[in-house]
Amino acid sequence: MQIRNQIICCICAVTMLFIVGSCSQQGQTGALNSSLADRSYVAPGEHDEFYAFISGGYSGQLSIYGLPSGRLFRVVPVFSVDAEKGYGFNEETKPLLNTSFGSIPWDDSHHPDLSQTNGKVDGRWCFINGNNTPRIARISLSSFETEEIIEIPNSAGNHSSAFVTENTEYVVAGTRFAVPVPQRDMPIEEYKGNFKGALSFIKVDQETGRMNLEFQVMMPGFNFDLAHPGRKKSHGWMFFSTYNTEEASTLLEVNASQNDKDFIAAINWKKAEELIANGQFETIKTEYAHNVYEESTHMATSTMKKEVKVLDPAKYPGLVYFLPTPKSPHGCDVDPSGEYIIGSGKLAASMTAHSFTKMLDAIENKKFDGDAYGIPVINYEDVVSGVVQQAGLGPLHTEFDNDGNAYTTFFISSEVVKWKVGTWEVLDRAPTYYSVGHLMIPGGNSQEPFGKYLVAMNKITKDRYLPTGPELAHSAQLYDISGDKMELILDFPTIGEPHYAAGCPADLIKPNQTKIYELEKNNHPYAAKSDKEARIERNGNEVHVYMTMIRSHFTPDNLEGIKVGDKVYFHVTNLEQDYDVPHGISIIGANTSELLIMPGQTETFIWEPKKEGVWPFYCTDFCSALHQEMQGYIRVSGRNSNTPLKWSLDGD
Amino acid sequence: MIVGALLLGGLYLFPIWNITLEAPQYPEPIGMDIFINKFQGMNPNDIKNINIMNHYVGMKDIPEQIPEFEIFPLVTAGMIILGVLTGFIGKKNLYLVWFGLMVTFGTIAMYDFYLWEYDYGHDLKETAAIKFTDSDGEPMAYQPPLIGNKTILNFRALSWPRTGAYLMFLGMALSVLAYFQNKKEASNSSQQAQKAKEDDEEQYSHNVA
Amino acid sequence: MKILIQPSLALLVLGFLISCGSSPQTEQAATNLAESHPKGQASVKDDVSDANILQVAIGSEAHSTLVAAVQAAEIEHVLVNAGPLTVFAPTNGAFDLLPEGTVEDLLKPENKQALATILTRHAAPGSFNVEALKREANKGRKIYMATGDYLEVVVDGEDIMVGGAKVVGTIQTSNGIINVVDKVILPE
Repeated sequence: MQIRNQIICCICAVTMLFIVGSCSQQGQTGALNSSLADRSYVAPGEHDEFYAFISGGYSGQLSIYGLPSGRLFRVVPVFSVDAEKGYGFNEETKPLLNTSFGSIPWDDSHHPDLSQTNGKVDGRWCFINGNNTPRIARISLSSFETEEIIEIPNSAGNHSSAFVTENTEYVVAGTRFAVPVPQRDMPIEEYKGNFKGALSFIKVDQETGRMNLEFQVMMPGFNFDLAHPGRKKSHGWMFFSTYNTEEASTLLEVNASQNDKDFIAAINWKKAEELIANGQFETIKTEYAHNVYEESTHMATSTMKKEVKVLDPAKYPGLVYFLPTPKSPHGCDVDPSGEYIIGSGKLAASMTAHSFTKMLDAIENKKFDGDAYGIPVINYEDVVSGVVQQAGLGPLHTEFDNDGNAYTTFFISSEVVKWKVGTWEVLDRAPTYYSVGHLMIPGGNSQEPFGKYLVAMNKITKDRYLPTGPELAHSAQLYDISGDKMELILDFPTIGEPHYAAGCPADLIKPNQTKIYELEKNNHPYAAKSDKEARIERNGNEVHVYMTMIRSHFTPDNLEGIKVGDKVYFHVTNLEQDYDVPHGISIIGANTSELLIMPGQTETFIWEPKKEGVWPFYCTDFCSALHQEMQGYIRVSGRNSNTPLKWSLDGD
Repeated sequence: MIVGALLLGGLYLFPIWNITLEAPQYPEPIGMDIFINKFQGMNPNDIKNINIMNHYVGMKDIPEQIPEFEIFPLVTAGMIILGVLTGFIGKKNLYLVWFGLMVTFGTIAMYDFYLWEYDYGHDLKETAAIKFTDSDGEPMAYQPPLIGNKTILNFRALSWPRTGAYLMFLGMALSVLAYFQNKKEASNSSQQAQKAKEDDEEQYSHNVA
Repeated sequence: MKILIQPSLALLVLGFLISCGSSPQTEQAATNLAESHPKGQASVKDDVSDANILQVAIGSEAHSTLVAAVQAAEIEHVLVNAGPLTVFAPTNGAFDLLPEGTVEDLLKPENKQALATILTRHAAPGSFNVEALKREANKGRKIYMATGDYLEVVVDGEDIMVGGAKVVGTIQTSNGIINVVDKVILPE
């Protein structure tokens, strides 16, 4: 009797476990049984599941968010100076912003993309393009610092960039504006047939990440909008969307919208590599800056390069083909299998899916519909595999999940539409608030997307947040896409104007973090690696102060013998070797930003004292309980005074 | 017995003691391993960071070199040689003597450790930036526990033996075990005096064990 | 025995309750979310900015049928989009010219998609005021509509015809242009 009771009890308990278990499993797959708030909630002290790298648009930077919480962790300065971090102000990072036009304090950052190995996101680097003065930057995902910026010559409006190939062999940078190549004084109206559109292939060193502009494919004067790499079977190809194949130079809103179809350009970059290896290229003179930040010296250098290898596609059959695509395609997105290239004609009502297999067949059997400037145009019917009919208004960009679904943003109808790759049927639609531009699914531009969340980046905010005057933060929205229906779970504000984003699981990045810079490996030529090395050296009116900082004092903190008219270099080394103990420094009247120095790092700012007196400096980062005591004085004497150089800490 | 003595060799390889500090601002605790001849941070910069923290309350830096680091390795070496010799000689009472010596030296070392901790926690610089007092109005001491856990301000200090010490304890235990084993053998052998010669061999094998 | 089993069964029932207990709450949350912006951007309250296409249309007595149709098709948010858009807006009279019962039919919920397509065919991405329409006509260019169709522009003396409908007035709005037309432009 007793035993039987126990058995019944057990059965009931086990059944209950099953019920609870099955329901919570449904919750994970997106069914409506956990509250929306729960699904974006990350408890205090817990970590997000994904990193999101969201471009700053006209801020010129790269912002780092966590998903699903939508919390902003860091803004990495890339193309714009950032006084908060001393970026572009301290002597070490100034060379990063050098270009063939001189130093530029700003750019418009657009499309971040993450490095890949075997078609999967690998968490090594993030690449992003500067649109205005064409540049590509590489950001280390260990230090989250910009390590390299390369300028792109013969290019203007570097828009169809910075997309990486399956093994990060190349980062591509396509020009938005066609321009005279080389640049010269000529009438604008002679654009047609004379301007060129350069597509640049930048080789990436797999060990160091160093970039080298390997070659440019010199295309006709179309505008190149976005690009995506082939993967798996289509690895070795890169696809660029074009608009203004009309080659208009004025009132483009009308004149660039005349052709029924523009093109997606398919570039066979493996073929290009062969041509380069065989010496079948032209070398043209140009000028572009290549800026590299060296972690061991904590310092960037800028080198001016003078020439570039160029391939003319008309000369080399098999290098480039055009796939006709309706109405000024914006996105040209390759699905995870590498078979379909989706063109989103931003003025079209439908979307076009080209088939890579059909493309190869059409090439083999020469199913061409003439050519454009000597580049074969493949018959539309012979390359199109399917059309997503009337999915919405103004399709812009498509990303993919890992279940064969695609998600497209529609700007005009303000929605994200989910559809099936292969059958082209619309499965679901979700409104966005408002007028969505791009979207991001972590790993969405790779063989293996992580189809759990979708971030929609909206262009218009209006009433979504507490108002802040006429200028509003752009809004991003997070959707749970793990179920059949997309569910909006979170709104979060962003910096600048996010044009595009990339994401990946946090576990790919977390273990490789730089926490401190080892003092022993600090090869900065002006580093003072212990208090004993702290000193002042004068060379004419140039004065070098070798200063150290550690909780909670500077060494030296009393300096004398500086004169009006001197150029004083403060080389300041943070002697801390403890995670998250930066120190900052600035001095009254300095015509530059503070320095914010990480443990083990050396940074430099220049101070040109204009007035005699005794001027204080202090630590600008609340470093410790005695942060407020971390301060010092500099005595500035008259131009012709004889005050001797003298420095001390606590009288020693 | 010989194995027991040789286990002391572990003291050259492994830390004998460890002091760890836990605090909310250190998600990965910081700490110091004490070897017979050096202090070593659990992570590369831990000692430096302990010194930085401690200087605010006037505590001295943890020294890189102390006289004990010269003496301990010599004493340990002496005890190993002594232990091995004892093992070969095989006199059970000598085992006890060796054990006794170990206990004595161990106690002296612990007392020395206590004195150092006391000094480290009490001898504060006059110019300390932060001066706390305890409930009696006396200057607060920051002495880590001799053994065990203790809360000092917002830190939890943990002081526990480490691998080297455990190997030493095992060695000492083995010496006592050898003593009792030997005693049993000896009483057996008195009953069977005619097989004394074989017993000696057996005894030897026990010594090795 | 009975005494023992009953608590077990109660436990079982409790299991059901726990496992599904959160769903009503969620449904409510989801509904609230949808209700907060039923029309998307069209529901943004703003009486300071210049009126957009939708607001102008709502304010025009001559376009009450069009507005009703737009609402029935649930495409209001398209007409408040940043644009620029050009809407060829048939008057109530234009709708009256359709065969009897057509409008009533289209307003039925099951015909929402068909209605949306017909209305979208009256919207073009871009700004086409009278001058722009004349220019397109002169250059022999057609206007690309949001459905992907092309409409022909013909200048006949003072009159401008788009897709067979006459432009009888033009209103500049904050997000584009309304060209009032005298006919509903139906697919050929």
